[in-house]
Amino acid sequence: MQYLVTIGILAELSALLAVSLNLVLGYGGLLSVAHPIFYGLGAYGSALLAMHAGVPVPVAVGLAALGCAAASVPLAMASLRVSGDYFVIVSMGFQLGVLQIINNIEITGATGGLSGIPTFASGPDRSLIALGVLGVAVVAVVWLVRAVVQSPFGRALTAMRNDEEALAALGRDPVRMKMAVFALSAGIAGMAGGLYAHVFQFLSPTQFGLETSTALLTMVVVGGTATIYGPLVGAVLITAVPQAIQFLRLPPGVSSPLQGIIFSVLVLGFLFLRPQGLMGGRRGGGGLDRWSGRRPGLPSGRRA
Amino acid sequence: MILDPSILAQLAWTGFANATFTCLFAIALALVLKVNRVWNFAQAGMMVVAYGCMYAGTRWVGLPLAAAFGLGLVGTVAVSLGLERFGFRTLRLRGASSLTFFIFTLVVSQFVTYLAELVFGTESTTLVDNVVTPVRLVWGVAVSEWDLKAVSATVVLVAALAGFLKLSSWGQRLVAVADSPDLAELYGTGRDAAYGISIGIAAVLTTAGMLLLGTKAATVPSSPLQEFLVMALLATILAGVGNVFGAAAAALVVGIGQGFAVLFMPSQWTPLLTYALMAVAIVVFPGGVRFRVGRR
Repeated sequence: MQYLVTIGILAELSALLAVSLNLVLGYGGLLSVAHPIFYGLGAYGSALLAMHAGVPVPVAVGLAALGCAAASVPLAMASLRVSGDYFVIVSMGFQLGVLQIINNIEITGATGGLSGIPTFASGPDRSLIALGVLGVAVVAVVWLVRAVVQSPFGRALTAMRNDEEALAALGRDPVRMKMAVFALSAGIAGMAGGLYAHVFQFLSPTQFGLETSTALLTMVVVGGTATIYGPLVGAVLITAVPQAIQFLRLPPGVSSPLQGIIFSVLVLGFLFLRPQGLMGGRRGGGGLDRWSGRRPGLPSGRRA
Repeated sequence: MILDPSILAQLAWTGFANATFTCLFAIALALVLKVNRVWNFAQAGMMVVAYGCMYAGTRWVGLPLAAAFGLGLVGTVAVSLGLERFGFRTLRLRGASSLTFFIFTLVVSQFVTYLAELVFGTESTTLVDNVVTPVRLVWGVAVSEWDLKAVSATVVLVAALAGFLKLSSWGQRLVAVADSPDLAELYGTGRDAAYGISIGIAAVLTTAGMLLLGTKAATVPSSPLQEFLVMALLATILAGVGNVFGAAAAALVVGIGQGFAVLFMPSQWTPLLTYALMAVAIVVFPGGVRFRVGRR
């Protein structure tokens, strides 16, 4: 039972991350791989606030989310100058750079990880409480993203993805839109990170690297890019399916790469066989085909 | 004391020699970007394939290093051609976006890395039993046998590539496809063949780079994606898209710079310098660093 609850908690955390990444990637067309670093910043920020400043856990999670929204500003600023593949590389540099800092400073526990984080809730039912709270958070975030996407701002966001210059010609300000969507997405990721820290009470920098970026991209692609519920479905599927490996009782040196192989094969299969994802329709209902990014390799990354 | 000329010369030489394999990785990345028009993040997977084949050859089969290198070449070229034929070509024909290309190449790299972790484990390994080679002093600078072999191999490979691109018919066709695939095809150059040759050359350079790396330092399957690909990306960005030999020069300059960085920061912080430089370079110079300002 405890095992299933833990898988449920992980699926809910993945859902929060995938849904928020989809906002930037699927609807905003901003190809960032740095999403896990906001998750990490939220986790470390909330844990350190609670541990060293004695901030109550819910307040620490909230402050960490706000901090992550603020920390997204440099990345949003970079997206004003470069796009497409170039922005991927910038976001990768941002992610690896911040990770390098976390890996080398004492207060985060460096490579050894951070332990002794105050718990989310006490008592024998704390995992069930965490499952319930995260469930509420997922519902709230999906509702929020749905409301944003269906609002005039959301329609302008999709228009920005498809043709930024045309949108600017119509009088909308892509700068403010990018800042806003990045802040919202990073804030949600930061909140998820804070919740993770106080539920599992241990953090390691390896949890927020490129592997996590790939896992999140997999969730969004498998579920359906630019769909409301696709990333949610993708997150649950990608979290649950590799767990089947656990029942084979393989040594960690085998089961961990095997899970990675399952991730990779799933995403490769979807890329070629069903690029619109599970929830994307063939007629404009989302998926990778809705994303009209620049063709790769062309030296056209500079924005005016 | 620390600004002693011999120390500075030593740092410069060591940085230069250690940057040779990065230089080969950068050329491979820049060439595929120029000709195939793909930011090939799957190159990290190619690096793992090259190393895995050579490791299996030397450690499991007991082949001499030269034969293992041959095995690495065959394996990496085959995987690279498969990547181009069944991956890039399919996506190109479908008119896939850069997001699709990016996810595909990154996931291929991760797939190969996981596969290598499953087969070879996650312990760091080398291709030879002893990575320490004899050292001689040249004008007060310690030069190892590995340094000389690495620099010589790199010079030969870069010269061979330059000769191929400038002098051979197929080299010029590659340049033509890079400039305009449609026009090149109109004049009888099959773009698929050009793409295959380009990624095949990249595979050769990648394998040579992994041979140099594997005889110098211990590595793990995740190193190419986490470390060496980033350096190759940085060099390609600094040189600008389409500047294959500029990427080689940039890799060497960055390598020497990293050698000197130990003078003013602890070595564990030098990767941060690389990441920061990469982010700043691409934001400030998305077209690459140009030393000639203005054009008549």
